[in-house]
Amino acid sequence: MSWKTVCSTDEVGEHSIKLFDVDGVSILVANVGDGFRAYPPVCPHMEEPLIESGICANGQLTCTKHLWQWDMRTGEPKGPAEKCMLLYEVKAENGQVLVNLEQELEYDFDEDDDDDY
Amino acid sequence: MARSRNHEEWTKPPPFTQDEYVDSRIYSDEDIFEEELDKIFKKAWIPVCHESEMPNAYDFRTVTIAREPIVMTRGKDMKVRAFLNVCPHRGNMIERRPSGSFLEGSPSGNPRHMTCMFHAWQFDMKGRCVYISRQEEGYQDRLKKQQVGLRELKCEVYFGGFVWVCLDDNTPFETVEQWSAGSLECLKPSLDEEPLEVFHYHKAIIPCNYKLWHDTNCEFYHDYLHYHNRITGFNDSYFARKNMGFDNGHINVGSFEVNYDNYEGFDSRAAISFPHLPPNHWYMIDMFPGVNFNLRGSSLRCDLMTPLGPDKVMIEFRGLGLKSDDEATRQSRIEHHNSIWGPFGRNLHEDLLAVTGQGASMHPRAERRQILHGRHENETIHDENGMRHFYEEWGRWMDRLPADPDQPFLEGDNIKKAAVAAAT
Repeated sequence: MSWKTVCSTDEVGEHSIKLFDVDGVSILVANVGDGFRAYPPVCPHMEEPLIESGICANGQLTCTKHLWQWDMRTGEPKGPAEKCMLLYEVKAENGQVLVNLEQELEYDFDEDDDDDY
Repeated sequence: MARSRNHEEWTKPPPFTQDEYVDSRIYSDEDIFEEELDKIFKKAWIPVCHESEMPNAYDFRTVTIAREPIVMTRGKDMKVRAFLNVCPHRGNMIERRPSGSFLEGSPSGNPRHMTCMFHAWQFDMKGRCVYISRQEEGYQDRLKKQQVGLRELKCEVYFGGFVWVCLDDNTPFETVEQWSAGSLECLKPSLDEEPLEVFHYHKAIIPCNYKLWHDTNCEFYHDYLHYHNRITGFNDSYFARKNMGFDNGHINVGSFEVNYDNYEGFDSRAAISFPHLPPNHWYMIDMFPGVNFNLRGSSLRCDLMTPLGPDKVMIEFRGLGLKSDDEATRQSRIEHHNSIWGPFGRNLHEDLLAVTGQGASMHPRAERRQILHGRHENETIHDENGMRHFYEEWGRWMDRLPADPDQPFLEGDNIKKAAVAAAT
């Protein structure tokens, strides 16, 4: 386990997201009301930076580029989304949000795959 | 006794064979110009830019050839590819910037993709369509992404890192090496030894036909335009430089050693002359239909002509040095380049003045007149065999006789026979 402090619990407002850098790794932290979630910073569809394109509403995160949506708590896809969001293990302790950074989570965008149609 | 001529005398053919002059309409006629775009520029290999202008993955450059918009991309695999810069959906131009990076997304697109701003179709660096907005809703299963990739063009990085593009998939010249027909060999070792880098770029839009600029690069008889050339540059070895023709209309101007000490305010370029180039030597390569490579010891110049109209040409001027240059060396190369070839250098503006004057006399619909290139001087630089070689090739591609473009082309010997027949 490699727990790292990402931010304090009051840095991310309820039902919103904020981007942090932890030792060169970008982490998107969400405050879901009764807890926190942490994701890779880009949309799993086409790498859009979610801090720019993401909107939080009704417990869902929406990437406004192509309207992929996810349940913020589980990362499960909604609507047209075809891929889950990846989630880091996260915990809140002593007013700090900590993330298990054992390994950086990244999506596979299959850029060089000729059979990805 | 020599005297001026009236209209009838003025319009008579000169006492030359038909390969020794051209009809000025080839420099001004709108129909001939359109035909040149189709028959020549859409078929030739053109060095549209240099790879150092797009050094990183996801960098791009846009250009046009014969009015066709083209985008070159550098993929994650670092390979440079060329595509028509046209969306297969509604024909919109995809990328409008002259250069930049696709690493960051555009307002309607995503990082690492080309995006058409119109309806947000997206393409990767290999030209594959990877996103069609609301694809299933609108096209159901009738249109697949693999059916709407970009049009890829023949593209090769060759000769010191220049990026060459050819619009014709069926060109008989499979490679740039075949197209160049040996004309690049004199400089190839110097340019291919280590990576080059563009340090100077400017473009000029000049009111003259593109061939008139190419002519100034092919003939050195116009040394008389360049005051400093006359008072400092001439010697026997200068006049002995050879003009050599290669297949496909290309020519070389042979080298000699320039004595820069004779040039007021100039230094020797021996210490930083290009690899394998004898110190202070000076080669020129003129490639059909409108490209010039010019290496004066320490500094490489490349002119690329993009014809915009019968009496309008865009010329892009690039100066190149070695990528490995330290700061002082690079500064010297820039000074060597700019002092002769920069927009405020010694020679370039003089050449531009001359062709602008030609453009003024050869505007569209101007009366036809004869433009002479009949000098024979043992194929040295004040000979005009370079231009004769170019126009023979031009006639072949156009199937027009340069001296009388209403007539079909005749191969060299037949021109002379026809001239004899006409005279008898």
